Amino acid sequence: MPAPAQRRIIFQHIDEPGYTNDLACYVKHGGYEIMKKAFQRPPAELVDEVKKSGLRGRGGAGFPCGVKWGLLDKKSGKPIYLVVNADESEPGTFKDRYIMHQDPHQLIEGIMITCFANNVKQAYIYIRGEFPHGARILEKAIAEARAANFCGPNVLGSSYGCEIYVHRGAGAYICGEETGLIESLEGKRPYPRIKPPYFPAVLGLYQCPTIVNNVETLCHVKHIAAMGGAEFAKIGTPNNTGTRILCVSGHVQKPGYYEFEVGKITMGELLNDVCGGPLPGRKFKAVIPGGSSAKVLKFGERFKGKRKVGAEMVDYDWAVEDVPMDFDCLGMIGTMGGSGGVIVMDDSVNMVEALANINAFYAHESCGQCTPCREGSLWMKKISSRMVHGAARPEDGQLLKSVADQIAGRTICAFGEACAWPTQSYVAKFGDEFKGYADAKKTAKPGGVTDLI
Amino acid sequence: MLQVTINGQPHKFVDGLTINEALRQIGVEIPTLCHDDRVDPYGSCRTCAVEVKGVGALVTACNTQLREGMEIQTHSPTVEGVRKTLFGLLAADYPAEAVAQFPDKQFHRYLKQYGVKAGGSRTAPAPDVPFMQDASHPYINVDMSQCVTCYRCVRICEEVQGQFVWKAWNRGDTTRILPVRGETMLDGGCVSCGACVDTCPSGALEDITVLARGVPTEWTKTICSYCGTGCEVNVGTRDGQITTIRPSDGPSNHGHTCVKGRYAFDYVYAEERITSPMIRRNGQWEDVSWDEVIKYISTKLAETIKQHGPDSIGVLSSARGTNEENFVAQKFARVVLGNNNIDCCARVCHSPTAAAMKMTLGTGAATNSLDEIELARTILVCGANPTDGHPVTGARIKQAARHGAKLIIVDPRVIELNEFATLHLQLHAGTNVVLFNAMGAAIVEEGLVDEEFVRTRLTEYEEYRKFIRDFSPEKVEKICGVPAAKIREAARIYATSKPSLSVHGLGMTEHIQGTEGIMALVNLALLTGNIGKPGTGINPLRGQNNVQGAPHMGCEPKLLAGYVPIEEARAQFESAWHVPLPTHKGLNMIDMLDAATKGKMKAMWAIGYDIVMTNPNTHETRRAMEQIDLVIVQDLFLNATAREFGDVFLPAASSFEKDGTFMNGERRIQRVRGAAKPQGLARSDWEIVCQVAKAMGKGEHFAYRSAEEIWNEVRSLWPEGQGISYARLDKEGGLQWPCFEENSPGTPILHVDHFTHGKTTALRRIEFVPPPQILSAEFPFLLTTGRNLYQYNAATQTSRTPNNGLHPTDYLQISPVDATRLGLADGETVRLRSTQGTAELPVQISDHVKPGEVYTTFHSVRVFLNQITTSQRDRYTQTPEYKVTAVNIAKLATPPVVV
Repeated sequence: MPAPAQRRIIFQHIDEPGYTNDLACYVKHGGYEIMKKAFQRPPAELVDEVKKSGLRGRGGAGFPCGVKWGLLDKKSGKPIYLVVNADESEPGTFKDRYIMHQDPHQLIEGIMITCFANNVKQAYIYIRGEFPHGARILEKAIAEARAANFCGPNVLGSSYGCEIYVHRGAGAYICGEETGLIESLEGKRPYPRIKPPYFPAVLGLYQCPTIVNNVETLCHVKHIAAMGGAEFAKIGTPNNTGTRILCVSGHVQKPGYYEFEVGKITMGELLNDVCGGPLPGRKFKAVIPGGSSAKVLKFGERFKGKRKVGAEMVDYDWAVEDVPMDFDCLGMIGTMGGSGGVIVMDDSVNMVEALANINAFYAHESCGQCTPCREGSLWMKKISSRMVHGAARPEDGQLLKSVADQIAGRTICAFGEACAWPTQSYVAKFGDEFKGYADAKKTAKPGGVTDLI
Repeated sequence: MLQVTINGQPHKFVDGLTINEALRQIGVEIPTLCHDDRVDPYGSCRTCAVEVKGVGALVTACNTQLREGMEIQTHSPTVEGVRKTLFGLLAADYPAEAVAQFPDKQFHRYLKQYGVKAGGSRTAPAPDVPFMQDASHPYINVDMSQCVTCYRCVRICEEVQGQFVWKAWNRGDTTRILPVRGETMLDGGCVSCGACVDTCPSGALEDITVLARGVPTEWTKTICSYCGTGCEVNVGTRDGQITTIRPSDGPSNHGHTCVKGRYAFDYVYAEERITSPMIRRNGQWEDVSWDEVIKYISTKLAETIKQHGPDSIGVLSSARGTNEENFVAQKFARVVLGNNNIDCCARVCHSPTAAAMKMTLGTGAATNSLDEIELARTILVCGANPTDGHPVTGARIKQAARHGAKLIIVDPRVIELNEFATLHLQLHAGTNVVLFNAMGAAIVEEGLVDEEFVRTRLTEYEEYRKFIRDFSPEKVEKICGVPAAKIREAARIYATSKPSLSVHGLGMTEHIQGTEGIMALVNLALLTGNIGKPGTGINPLRGQNNVQGAPHMGCEPKLLAGYVPIEEARAQFESAWHVPLPTHKGLNMIDMLDAATKGKMKAMWAIGYDIVMTNPNTHETRRAMEQIDLVIVQDLFLNATAREFGDVFLPAASSFEKDGTFMNGERRIQRVRGAAKPQGLARSDWEIVCQVAKAMGKGEHFAYRSAEEIWNEVRSLWPEGQGISYARLDKEGGLQWPCFEENSPGTPILHVDHFTHGKTTALRRIEFVPPPQILSAEFPFLLTTGRNLYQYNAATQTSRTPNNGLHPTDYLQISPVDATRLGLADGETVRLRSTQGTAELPVQISDHVKPGEVYTTFHSVRVFLNQITTSQRDRYTQTPEYKVTAVNIAKLATPPVVV
């Protein structure tokens, strides 16, 4: 059976010849028409549409967007803020960047509908520091939109006003964590806040109720407003509605970004049919399905269990290639859809070295606030780095795992899991490579290892 | 009540506790490496994690609220395993030598408890991102190789002191705690309060004295001997020597201290400390025995009385001494000498406050408590620089402002609190009455008075209303120098953003209209009903540890113990003491010197009081002192008075070396306990006075065997203090009078339903008396004075500690405009000249003073600033006007030699 075709909703105009990121082009393609119609409707109705759509956050956690909005404390009397999480920093993820670069007004339209629906008067786009170009494009697009009254003091000539500000990060992965991001936006170190009580929906930016949504998620809001929540929910699979962008990188013939209905394509279809399979003479060895922190999958392993399809429970018995690319199925097999960053490794990759790379990244990116993460990520880096620098011991794999096991679930924010999961899964699935690493290196060709970061 | 199961046992708790607080209540101990009660729970170390049934992840006990029905496991294998791993991670590179050297450090105890060995060494090579090592601070050693990144130093500096010195730099595995700017703590703006050292669980921050002298083996809880905040401290001693002082969780300081209380104690061991009685014969001081000196004094005093009458002798007691010592001193004057010539250092500070508040409200003391700073929505700071003068109170005000209270500063200068202030009323020095009257006028005019309060508690409102019209802000803005709009805004904030609390210092009292300025301020509180309620009131920041207590014990010529006029209590005291009390009017300190100048004062006994250094207009003081035949100085050091005029020197015990009580600025009696033996032959003040009394034949009135016996006599004579026994103070901590009975909790707020002297009080109509035109072509600058953070008054103590290195001299603050005009550069020395004399000191160019005004401190013996202050006095209490002197500034060709 051939792989299903892409369904480009968010990426409709990405890479389209002649499509430019200015307002005129956007309007020519029907831009801001959906927003005009949405502004004729009661805000609560728009919130309902999003709830009905079943849209799940595209940033990593896959939390239902409508539920998130529903948690907002609207009785506090304090202003409500929208914070757009454009800190796209999970390794292997490169979707929001293209939206902002090539179709910024789509994001602005999504922001404005979201703001209108939730009575937000100020929105902040927190864009990662490494995207200076994207920040400039957004600044320009906001200025254009403001001049045309698509945002600003009198949106569409009404008395409703909403300003959008761009705030650039300074290059820290942790700013993708929503409460760390909020701290950073407030001008502080991005130390994630303790939850409870600091849930953004109640005590967010400046201790006011705050929505934090990912760029892609907000773009979906525009399309939900256009087609209605019920219609949107028909796209994809139940509980995994809509489309999502998958960013494929690593050892495939055609890496890149692809937009599919969620759950309609399997891992095998994606990698073999869409991305052209492994490089010549190579075999797939492992794949990380949702950004570098997701647990790795090993080609050749099988996943068995029961799952709900419609109203009934059915058995499943999947190879990696058979797994549908949706939130629930990936969760079921012990990993996650995360940010949609699919990283493919073929048999040329040494898993110890791959993990050493990831561990170095997380030790560098830990914010340093809580002990298990700060000290644990440091020690995982030290051990895996020692291994690849010629001092591996057979028991190092287990040592790594014992550290990782004490980080996950012990930290203030989800970074603890993010930095522990790779180690836990690599050691669990490729334990032999860790055990035999020292010996394997002795027989390997000289030249040693290159610095990993 | 919440029903909670802990380790299988059911427990009940009140609502609102964290899990950790609940565990502590039932005595279950868990590691809490990053927790300190003084700062908000943080939850970063994760060592307090516990298991809660039904919750997937572990829960940190320090910052999780206890909820109904929780089932908590505090020591399950899982959590103990996590803790062991965490300590293992933290200890992997931690220097093992530190653990061995200081096994009682919190972190080191945890390592022992969990069987974790430190894996690092002090000789290990430094990591790529090095740890801070710094020994440049006079009190604090920094060795961040022992840092466990718990952020307690960062947070306590921010949340308690409000100084923001420490900051986490870098991230992840290279996170380092470093000063916010520069290389050292002092570069980072450190005020040396020592809070970070006190909270540090590992020894990354440590007191230099502890490193040098060892960990204390004994701790004594007592009260700080510096300002009137009354911080409770723990004095740590080893082999009888003080090695460190740590803050205690006292009712006035809640676990905080300042650089003086925390570190400036080594004066006790200063080389110049005199530890033997001395008599000056033929110009030479000679050590003598106590017997000899007591005999000498008693004979001389008896002769003086015989020849010149009892009024020819004066006694000055000290607001640094205990209540008991002050009580004994005034009793000595009245019973042994037979006069009322007894005064204390309150004369040169808050006598106007006490007088004004006694007249208007019935009690000459703070109406409310320091704990109410956090309750106030508006805080008015008048003529005080709390972050320097009363640092712990200053830090609390700063925190209150950070948390949203509106802060109004009334001061001719910019002070540190300005940074957090809503408004600064930068008035011309000496125009307090005008400014407060103008605020009163605005309150009346704009209908902001508390009508209910006016109706039920005040009289003469109509008269006040008519009187105050002439002070409407627009009419008087030129006189006080504050724009009318600002005066009105301040009045509106004070009257509407309630509760409003005011604190004030000597910028209010040391003026010709000192007492009246306070009454004008009291009027504002009365008009707006900001009295008798939580978070309100008039609260003098008392400058000395016991300056509230000393006059209260009767060291006041007109008053007896309990701050009662002599005639009101004569019968009571005479029957208690079985002697007639002298009937003639006593002399206060100023009167005594005036009398001396006229040759009528023949002997003076100065207990802990450096008259020459601290009185204004030194030349005049010297002329007076020269006339006195017998000058007895009782002190720790040969102070200026002793050096220049002393005939007898009596070595006194420091407050670390004796028992007693102090009364702080919020009317709180607190216990002073000896932590060390007196040095040499030094004795506590009361013992010395009692021995002289005995030698003069009045031994039966001074047969005290302990400070407590003296205190019990005070209680028997002072109904409001009756309920405050040593037993209670030891058990419950400090108590605020009025406290009539042993079961009374004391009184945090005065004047709730009625004033001390009745249901109502009258609004006073305070006329402004323009100060004499003192500025002239010859003396074109207005000099005002104040206290610096690191020094204390005459610097008798602080100049003999490493504090002196932190503030080695007085500086003349001068505005950039004036400095440019006079061609002065920072640090250049100038000669200040007034009508009275000259003083030489370096300048500090600062925009904290207005053009035309200059400011300095008065601590340095070398500068001797009081050589130029004048003899103007408060109209009611004769408190000298230190705050306003006209001066001339001249650049010196060659700088004087720094001693």
